[in-house]
Amino acid sequence: MISRKEIIEKTADTLLRASTVFRPDQIDAYKRAAELEDSKHAKWVLENIIKNAEIAEDKVFPLCDDTGIPHVLVEVGEDAAVPAGFFSAVEEGVAAGLRQLPGRPMAVKGNDYERISQSAGLSEDSGDLAMAPIQIRRIPGKMIRLTLMMYGGGPEIRGKTLRVFHKHSADTVINEMIEWAVEGAKLLGCLPCALSFGIGRSNLEAASLSMEAMAKGNFSVQSDIEKKITEEVNKAGYGALGLGGKTTALATFVKVGPQRASGIRVVSMRLGCCFDPRRAEWEFEA
Amino acid sequence: MQISMPVDDKVINQLKIYDMVEITGKIFTGRDAVLPKIVKCIEDGTCEERGIHLTGGAVFHTAVSPAGIGPTSSNKVDIEGSIPVLSEAGIKMHIGKGSLKKETTEALNKYNSIFLVTPPSTAFLTASIKSKRVVAFPEEGMEALHEIEVENFPAIVAIAHGESIYDK
Repeated sequence: MISRKEIIEKTADTLLRASTVFRPDQIDAYKRAAELEDSKHAKWVLENIIKNAEIAEDKVFPLCDDTGIPHVLVEVGEDAAVPAGFFSAVEEGVAAGLRQLPGRPMAVKGNDYERISQSAGLSEDSGDLAMAPIQIRRIPGKMIRLTLMMYGGGPEIRGKTLRVFHKHSADTVINEMIEWAVEGAKLLGCLPCALSFGIGRSNLEAASLSMEAMAKGNFSVQSDIEKKITEEVNKAGYGALGLGGKTTALATFVKVGPQRASGIRVVSMRLGCCFDPRRAEWEFEA
Repeated sequence: MQISMPVDDKVINQLKIYDMVEITGKIFTGRDAVLPKIVKCIEDGTCEERGIHLTGGAVFHTAVSPAGIGPTSSNKVDIEGSIPVLSEAGIKMHIGKGSLKKETTEALNKYNSIFLVTPPSTAFLTASIKSKRVVAFPEEGMEALHEIEVENFPAIVAIAHGESIYDK
């Protein structure tokens, strides 16, 4: 039986890892990009990001001062019993993790009008930052897997969810995705980006598929669609920090869901920044 | 190139796009919430009485929070919109990230100010801070106008003298 204490502690630890540690495939991708880069300015930025990751992991300090909005994916094994109070314990663990990090204190106070206009100030407590609604999926087995992702604000300015008329050609949709990414990357300061796309039947489904792509994407394992998008975006030549260079996008993660009989596909893009995806996992034996 | 704050036109005149610099000394920080308020102070002529001395200074587009410092996108309306007025009032260096509009490049050129970008490497940049204090508008919390003292703060000149790396 998983205890409430264990859920809180492991969730907090997972949030700390997501916020301070680059995963091995992410570090390898940066090292490859730095080796291949001809531009001395872009190479300097890529090496600076690697150095930043080393310091962040060593000091358990945020990779980025925009510590992000916590997003949680919970995968529940078909044979697992979810303990009572599991989700409130996850929320408590997220708040504890934000206080330990410390997360940027950016919870906006006030009523609906005040929160929209940010006119009633901010909470000074990092832990007051509410997490996004939990996403749940089922998996085989007995475990409960928690994936915690920190969504920074820059990618939200450049992100997009919209229908695309496919004209019975996958290339039409993929080319539109490339166009969105190139357009967004030009304005995103924190390059190279890591792109996450979901393709579904509704805006909500597409956005949740994009989140899944981000939760599962691996920089070292890329599908043909993912490779094509990355290669095309890199042809734009914006390079690290927009200084010009070979790597505008470090990788692309795509999740294609079920589709409906229709002339449109709904595409959701997160134009992840140079630290995306900031994510970590923990598996509870249930 | 090493730059000591504050700077004058002579220093700015030596800098060109793609120059890599390290900044040492006191710089302001501000972003969406406070920069429009500074613009209002400039227009009202109340900066000096608030202890805001802009001449020869730099503004880094960041919050200052327990999570450290790091550049926010400078092309957000409230931030980019402040650049011409702040430059006219004496700010010589604006530090952030992301491309800026042609009109902003022209305004920077008119007042002999420059725009620099820095990697969003919070753990690395935060280690360069030697001291920090709130200068004005403390009610904005981490987004208040802060003055931070930095040592060997790294940046690259992105826009200078009418030229922009984003036009390349």
